[in-house]
Amino acid sequence: MSLDRLRRNFHTGDIPLPTGECLDPELVAALAEGSLQADARARALRHVAGCASCRRAVASVADALADGPITHEIEVIDGRRRRTGRVLRTAAPWAAAATILLLLWSPAGDDPATHRAGDGAGQSPVPRGPVGMVADARVFDWSRVPGSDLYRVTVFNAAGAVIYETQGSDTTLALPDSVRLEDRQPYLWKVQARTGWDRWTSSELVEFTIARAPPK
Amino acid sequence: MEPWQAELGRSRFDAAWDLFLDRYRRLIFSAIRHYAQDYDDVMDVFAHVCEALREDDLRRLRAYLQQPVHHARFSTWLVTVVRHNTVDWFRHRDGRRRLTTVAKDLPPLRRRIFEHVFLHKRSHVEAYELMRSADCIDVSFGEFLVEVSATYRAVADGRRGRILRELGGPTPPLTADEDASPEPTVSERREELERALGSLSAEERVAVELYVMEEMPAESVAKVVGWPNAKAVYNRVYRALDLMRRRLEPHV
Repeated sequence: MSLDRLRRNFHTGDIPLPTGECLDPELVAALAEGSLQADARARALRHVAGCASCRRAVASVADALADGPITHEIEVIDGRRRRTGRVLRTAAPWAAAATILLLLWSPAGDDPATHRAGDGAGQSPVPRGPVGMVADARVFDWSRVPGSDLYRVTVFNAAGAVIYETQGSDTTLALPDSVRLEDRQPYLWKVQARTGWDRWTSSELVEFTIARAPPK
Repeated sequence: MEPWQAELGRSRFDAAWDLFLDRYRRLIFSAIRHYAQDYDDVMDVFAHVCEALREDDLRRLRAYLQQPVHHARFSTWLVTVVRHNTVDWFRHRDGRRRLTTVAKDLPPLRRRIFEHVFLHKRSHVEAYELMRSADCIDVSFGEFLVEVSATYRAVADGRRGRILRELGGPTPPLTADEDASPEPTVSERREELERALGSLSAEERVAVELYVMEEMPAESVAKVVGWPNAKAVYNRVYRALDLMRRRLEPHV
């Protein structure tokens, strides 16, 4: 009997919904990562054997734990991996882009509202990620500047062209799907924080490159 | 002890929250994006997760820390909490909507299947019965399952595939050679299966269900049930399936 035929026979189409007796998140997490002690695991499996909702949850969390960006973040949190390259590495291919960006940044450029002095002087936002080689770059994250109520994020491609710019009050930005970043292509980004009326303070320009793990 | 935990210990909830979010924001976003890709959805779910974690002076975080023994890493616990909240958010949001944008592109029959299965959480048998009586569809259960499979494939291929799998249960396999079994036979078959599964030990049953129905990799199944490796999963799952097959022989 093929596995597909077995699946067809197994498939009930029932939608698993959680009940009050379902495992708490920590037990689901422990089952998914395989860290439960034998006796606790045996107890949990007795419930999971009869609970489609918990089986789905365990399978779902196990799948999430194998997802590249999540694995990467957990490794960073656990100290097994570092976010590297806070300082922009200069290289020959970047010279042209840097020149363009300097022009873009000049006070007489396209952003006359930008001033370097003001409340935020000395308290510029610090880009935290993506920085350097990263597995994914859908989320941009930077430090908060006290007193700032608005941040402006600008992302450039290697040629110095602006590929995305937005403003918001949070210190995190999820890149919309309409912005496609290519693997192994260098990008730059900066964040500006509004520190007062018509006053902005800018981060340094940081580089990142996406290097996704090859599909298994 | 992490700084946010220290602040939480001093009941400085705002400071603890800021430190917690500084440390785990990226992981939370990564976990949300595992299930949801639309920008607006991601941001709404993030707000929902933050609200849930922050409510009642960070009650969930305090409860976690107050446990004398931890079975899982905090990061895995957090991914699980984010998963639960993400699924809840979509269930609540999509449950209120008559039709999602995904379903708009489906042919009428599959759109109705989508409504019954994904929005109203009905089993395939229930959906079939309802559509046969209310919509007067004139297809066999086998033909209906072909349409169900096609509906799953259509929605799972989209950007919301993962969350739809969470909301709609496991995808039924392709049913090109499906016999046109009417509903009573399906019910009987389910009862037989339940009996056959009931003859397995709890860990064997979980392994069979995770490997066959959830299509989890054997290595992951081994971790869950505490078996040494993938090979043990292959051996024991196929032995269990063989046992079940003999019990089900007249029905499959």
